[in-house]
Amino acid sequence: MTTKAEQDILLDHNYDGIQEYDNPLPGWWSGLFVGSIVFSILYLLYHHTGVEGRSIYDEYDREAAEVFEKRFAELGELTPDKQTILKYMEDPKWLAVGASIFKANCVSCHGDGGLGNVGPNLTDDAWINVQSVEDIAKVITNGAAGGAMPAWKNRLSHPNQIVLTAAYVASLRGKGGGGKAPQGRTIPPWK
Amino acid sequence: MNDDSSPSHTQGHENAESLDRFSYDDGIVRLFFWATLVWAIVAFTVGVFIALLLVLPDLSGGLPYLAFGRLRPLHTNAAIFAFAGNALFAATYYSTQRLVKARMWSDALSRLHFWGWQLIIVAAALTLPLGITQGKEYAELEWPIDIAIAVVWVGFFGVNFFMTLKHRRERHLYVAIWFYIATIITVAVLHVFNNLVLPVDALKSIPIYAGVQDAFMQWWYGHNAVAFFLTTPFLGLMYYFLPKAAERPVFSYKLSILHFWSLVFIYIWAGPHHLHYTALPQWASALGMVFSVMLWMPSWGGMINGLLTLRGAWHKVAEDPVLKFFVTGVTFYGMSTFEGPMLSVRAVNALSHYTDWTIAHVHSGALGWNGMMSFGMLYFLAPRLFQTKLWSKKLATWHFWIATVGLVLYIVPIYVAGLTQGLMWRAFDDMGNLAYPNFVETVEAIKPMWWVRVLGGTLYLTGGVLALVNLVKTWQGRPKTYEVPVVSAPPLAREYRDPPPPAPRAEAVPEFAKRFDVWLQLAWHRIWERKPLRFSLWVTAAVVTASLFEIIPTFLIRSNVPTIASVRPYTPLELAGRDIYVAEGCYNCHSQMIRPIFSETERYGEYSKPGEFVYDRPFQWGSRRIGPDLAREGGKQSNLWQYVHLVNPRDIDENSVMPSYAFLTRERLDFRQIPPRVAAAAALGAPYGEALDHAEAMARAQAKTIADSIVAQGGPASVALDNGETIPLEETKAIALIAYLQRLGTDLYAQPAEASAQRSAGPTAGKKAAP
Repeated sequence: MTTKAEQDILLDHNYDGIQEYDNPLPGWWSGLFVGSIVFSILYLLYHHTGVEGRSIYDEYDREAAEVFEKRFAELGELTPDKQTILKYMEDPKWLAVGASIFKANCVSCHGDGGLGNVGPNLTDDAWINVQSVEDIAKVITNGAAGGAMPAWKNRLSHPNQIVLTAAYVASLRGKGGGGKAPQGRTIPPWK
Repeated sequence: MNDDSSPSHTQGHENAESLDRFSYDDGIVRLFFWATLVWAIVAFTVGVFIALLLVLPDLSGGLPYLAFGRLRPLHTNAAIFAFAGNALFAATYYSTQRLVKARMWSDALSRLHFWGWQLIIVAAALTLPLGITQGKEYAELEWPIDIAIAVVWVGFFGVNFFMTLKHRRERHLYVAIWFYIATIITVAVLHVFNNLVLPVDALKSIPIYAGVQDAFMQWWYGHNAVAFFLTTPFLGLMYYFLPKAAERPVFSYKLSILHFWSLVFIYIWAGPHHLHYTALPQWASALGMVFSVMLWMPSWGGMINGLLTLRGAWHKVAEDPVLKFFVTGVTFYGMSTFEGPMLSVRAVNALSHYTDWTIAHVHSGALGWNGMMSFGMLYFLAPRLFQTKLWSKKLATWHFWIATVGLVLYIVPIYVAGLTQGLMWRAFDDMGNLAYPNFVETVEAIKPMWWVRVLGGTLYLTGGVLALVNLVKTWQGRPKTYEVPVVSAPPLAREYRDPPPPAPRAEAVPEFAKRFDVWLQLAWHRIWERKPLRFSLWVTAAVVTASLFEIIPTFLIRSNVPTIASVRPYTPLELAGRDIYVAEGCYNCHSQMIRPIFSETERYGEYSKPGEFVYDRPFQWGSRRIGPDLAREGGKQSNLWQYVHLVNPRDIDENSVMPSYAFLTRERLDFRQIPPRVAAAAALGAPYGEALDHAEAMARAQAKTIADSIVAQGGPASVALDNGETIPLEETKAIALIAYLQRLGTDLYAQPAEASAQRSAGPTAGKKAAP
């Protein structure tokens, strides 16, 4: 059997019987090696010569602006007052935003659907730190009970999120059925 | 080997009348042979067990020694340092003696090396389940063991190896030896510099580096442990055993030279690609990335030289299990060294980092490359070491196929899991909200893949057991006494004349072009190959220079680690809690590094800043999110929630895969150990001031505040220890851990004045408004 290998030039190296061919570097190997070096130089020149707008932080700001635009452009900046919260309580589209935030951050204490776990049940008429609906936004913002309820003002990326979450929490009232036993005082309806 | 004693073809052996007669030390190879096999089974078994823990978190029975966070380091250390380590030693001892025609310089050093290394492994197997750890991946072993590693590696292995080279009877060093040289030198440098620590007591230390710098050093080490512990020695193994088994010459000597030097020089830069989007300065991770991209071809040089050496010998692969293992091993090497550069690209890394993709990648390297090459070597060695036929070639072939199927069943579902989870983390719905806001949802989605992984791992382990049976049976067929072949070779003559330098290949060119052409023909390298000292110095220069290019700026440029005025040292109790976090290996599942990627800040909060980590020794950024990031965990949950969650995470979320840490509520915190711990942090620059004098009292006060709040929220006031004794909640380890968790990431929002108040009062919510 004659293969290409047998026409290669053998060097006079012999290490414990191992010999070596004097084959050249494969062309594609050298080509890709040089190519990767060229790419690397261009990459560094593009990203790391101080041109504005090319850092990961610039990318981050663009992405954040884009999402905020998508989320809140039509809302503007909401104020956490009674009227606003009650308004969005009736708006299924924006309530879904509040629901998403609640799912991300609140269910671990207040349970699925706000039925309560370590934190109180949010579906009944008994409330601990809330007298009227705008208090929900205050509690979310500043926390309560010496940190048992954490403050979220630094954690949510946009103030509207607090209003919409408050609206969602308000909407949970009366949607319970079971869950944790009521805690606090019974308060009048939101409206 | 019938060619062991054949005369060498190299020049310079004129004194044929004065032949040295000697024998090779195969006893030491037999020792490393068995150690490789035994530790392989141990490493795979622990791997299968911890894979099961992820799908059945209560399997540990709540025992601290069996928790995932403690056993995962045991698995990685066993796989890397015990299994692959012993394999590379077996390869080095067997091949070096034959390649340089000399017995190992000192049989005593060889034995010291063997037994020392096994003792280190046993020490690791004892300390890691006990939670004695430095908390840095693949560098978990505590300082006394680290010193032992340095002594065994440099003092026993290194000295023995280089003295053997000095007394060699083969003029030139073969490429396998180059790779062994690079391994020994570089691993020593990496190990020593990553493990510079301040001992607190006999079993606890803190690194001299903090935060960003510690992270940089760790991944300089971590990535190059892959490079110089799992790659270069295994390339050396390949360069000896593959041509031996195939009985074919190596494809290209020139390629060996080029890919060796480019690999050694380029690899060492690549570490920071593990830190894309972190608080490490961007220029450093960018350097890490481009050097990883440039590393693709140098790595593939090894694959090409391996696979093309088999030209004309492929028919042998069909019948020889040894070659089957080697071919598969080299192929997986090629795949992982393509994937590595790809994962280092920032845009890809943004998706892959913290997911199972990395886990799939390392297992295609460890099981595919290191595992297959090691088993191929063991099957090659067995008949030679035990001087009999392999007990069953058929069983070895079965091992090969079972291992290959196991490998595929391991890595494919884990790739799918990685991609699935990575995409779920970043998914937004139409309104721009996180599509999967609850982290546990993204875990639920990949549990089926984790089950398939268990199956794949079990198959790979089964292969290992088949190897054990086969090789023990082979050993049983050994002769009563081993024959010790006497080898004869002339000593190296004092005088040696190199062949004349090559002529330039073109005449009608300027003088400098002619010189360059002569240089390109690499005769100078042939001269290096007969000068081990010069060769080793150049290797050292290559790795040290490259390292310093990244290390010096990281340490000297102040702006690389901006300080934040409101960032204060941990309180004494938080420091104790942090030590618990480190000891339990929480970093194996939780990162503490929020990347500036929008989906990430939506999930976890403001991205991490370099200045937030200046008191973190060791840094705990982590590399995998089996659970959510904890960089801004402080204040996110109530103290009671943290308590309930530690006792049983499934009381909070039934789908959680976190083990129960109820044992922390049944263990007493030793407050008397806190002052020396605070003193050590202060010695490394943390401004504790007066707190140094009453660290214990401060810790007790803070513990009481936290315990009181838990009691007020409905938690228990006292808990029963395992011995039946009842103690107040504030004296348990759980409270210290909660203190630490509640501090995480809060300093950024604290006012400087408030920060000092926090030190005694514990965390409170910050005052700064949202950005």
